[in-house]
Amino acid sequence: MRTQNATAYRFLTPYLLIFAIFWIWPIISSFIISFQATRTVPWRFAPAFNWGRLIGDPAFYNALKNTLLILVIQVPVMIALAIVMAVLLNSPLLKARGLYRFAFFAPVVVGEVAYSAVFRLMFSLDFGIVNKLLDSIGLPKVDWFSNVTPAMALIMIAVTWRWAGYNAIIILAGLQSIPEDVYEAATLDRVSRVKQFFHITLPLLKPVIVFCAVLSIIGTMQLFTEPFLITERGGPGGGTETLGLLLYRQGFRSLNFGYASAVAYTMAGLAITITLVQLWLMREPK
Amino acid sequence: MAAVTLTNVVKRFGSFEVVHGANIDIADGEFVVFVGPSGCGKSTLLRMIAGLEDISGGDIAIGGKVMNDVEAADRGIAMVFQSYALYPHMTVEQNLSFGLRMNGNPKADTDRRVKRAAEILRIDELMQRRPKQLSGGQRQRVAIGRAIVREPQVFLFDEPLSNLDAELRVQMRVEISRLHKELGVTMIYVTHDQTEAMTLADRIVVLKAGNVEQIGAPLDLYDDPANRFVAGFIGSPKMNFLSAKVVDTSNSAAIIELVNHGGARLRKPLRDAFPAIGAEIVLGVRPEHFFEAGEGDCDIPVKADVAEHLGSVSYVYANSGPEELIVEREASRQRASGDHFTVSIKAERSLLFDKAGARIR
Ligand SMILES: Nc1ncnc2c1ncn2[C@@H]1O[C@H](COP(=O)(O)OP(=O)(O)O)[C@@H](O)[C@H]1O
Ligand SMILES: [Mg+2]
Repeated sequence: MRTQNATAYRFLTPYLLIFAIFWIWPIISSFIISFQATRTVPWRFAPAFNWGRLIGDPAFYNALKNTLLILVIQVPVMIALAIVMAVLLNSPLLKARGLYRFAFFAPVVVGEVAYSAVFRLMFSLDFGIVNKLLDSIGLPKVDWFSNVTPAMALIMIAVTWRWAGYNAIIILAGLQSIPEDVYEAATLDRVSRVKQFFHITLPLLKPVIVFCAVLSIIGTMQLFTEPFLITERGGPGGGTETLGLLLYRQGFRSLNFGYASAVAYTMAGLAITITLVQLWLMREPK
Repeated sequence: MAAVTLTNVVKRFGSFEVVHGANIDIADGEFVVFVGPSGCGKSTLLRMIAGLEDISGGDIAIGGKVMNDVEAADRGIAMVFQSYALYPHMTVEQNLSFGLRMNGNPKADTDRRVKRAAEILRIDELMQRRPKQLSGGQRQRVAIGRAIVREPQVFLFDEPLSNLDAELRVQMRVEISRLHKELGVTMIYVTHDQTEAMTLADRIVVLKAGNVEQIGAPLDLYDDPANRFVAGFIGSPKMNFLSAKVVDTSNSAAIIELVNHGGARLRKPLRDAFPAIGAEIVLGVRPEHFFEAGEGDCDIPVKADVAEHLGSVSYVYANSGPEELIVEREASRQRASGDHFTVSIKAERSLLFDKAGARIR
């Protein structure tokens, strides 16, 4: 038994080494760095330097506020949308199901840069199809990139577009695991389709929905691509700057690794806290 | 309380017809079992009665009212599914009361019905558990309880015992019988197990490939099957079918020769029809209708191949050529493989079928 284990570990060594160097060490290292002043040579230990700055930094609070705002609005809207999409995908009336499934999943596969460029085009003030559509139904054009509120809305729309289908596919798998005869029993019990949805489908989907919500929360806490590429580095004027963007700005533009590490740990801590609260709220009774 | 009448009921899935014009009359309060091999259309028939499948042709009436276009919930039926179909996220109590609660039934009445069902099925102690925390037999009770709560005129069961182990199956069978006596309502029960059919039914409907083969009381089907399929399906172990040839017909009887048993001959009195001399026919003899040598009308010497001793009876698989016979012997524990012995067939304890399987009487 013992020697068997030893042999196994010898085979695992290459992987474990790589794992230790490129995963474990950065995690430990950035934790240490977050307690160091990194703009001096050599770096020195100064616990209050980064964490103290974080507590009083308006840029941090701005990024935190933006991130949480996106989280609170975008995640529930997207999950609700994903549930609707999954139910439609699961409908026996739907033709060409495979095609829709592929179409819903495709945004995840599309390159981030390409998709961001297309979004910028679609939402551009004068040439964008979105403003043309708004115009054609008599609504005023929206300057999506110069005002904070539309810019935030744009970020949320983009993120929702990219991830709603992905979540819908996961929820679809959950839907398909609910046996048909449960619904037949409910039909015999004179329970309408709508009530079946709210009293049977939703409760049975709860674990899947919680899973999707946790994934989305973690993803949104790290949100970077869309505010970086679509609203041009958190524009207008930091109005869409997220924690992920702040981290990037501090770490890789100002080369302030200590402060960036502190931000990174804050993001991770928040994601874990929110997820735990979420799991606790949605726990199974008993 | 309601009678159920099926008139020329047809079911097609697309262009594929699976039920070919079924006519079945079920009296009020009767316990009727649909039995037949897997895929013969039993579930489809039951689901059409329940309103879970459309009816492609013919009429289904419950309590004298044609139900073809009536919603499933309005047919006054309750169904127990093979997989139980309990609501997994609800407690037993919630499972029982769900339908009533969703329809705004007064709470006091709901509580009364749930309590009564729990008492009938003795599941009072399980009320706060979830389906996951129940054994197969307990789930089955809850599923039946959910049907009872609806206070239906007709109970429908689709192979309700097939997921239970043998012992529990016997126990639940007795309970369902008791339930029928207690409630006195019409019950339609689907199974592929002829033992269940024989033990539960007032009348059995034997189905084969979407056709009703015969309808009758269990012992009538056993004693007087309409054709070879019913004869073979009802009774366990199966009836033996011996190839035979008509060698003579005279005095309202046919003399037949058992071609695989050394030309042994039997005089079989007939009432209605006389097959042609030389016609190939089949003689059906149940395992329990082989008598000791000399007791019957035709003796066949055989050699025991395998003997199964069940205690009260033994089944001896014996042959005297290409045709294996299953012979029931009471207390013949000493009969062993390789033994030679003689069995005897009585004319009145055997059935005659023509080549196509129709009964010759
Ligand atoms: N939804 C369906 N679509 C097409 N064929 C079906 C459907 N349901 C059942 N069938 C076919 O109808 C026949 C009878 O099925 P069923 O009533 O389930 O048989 P049983 O319950 O006697 O085993 C089978 O050949 C089955 O393949
Ligand atoms: Mg079936």
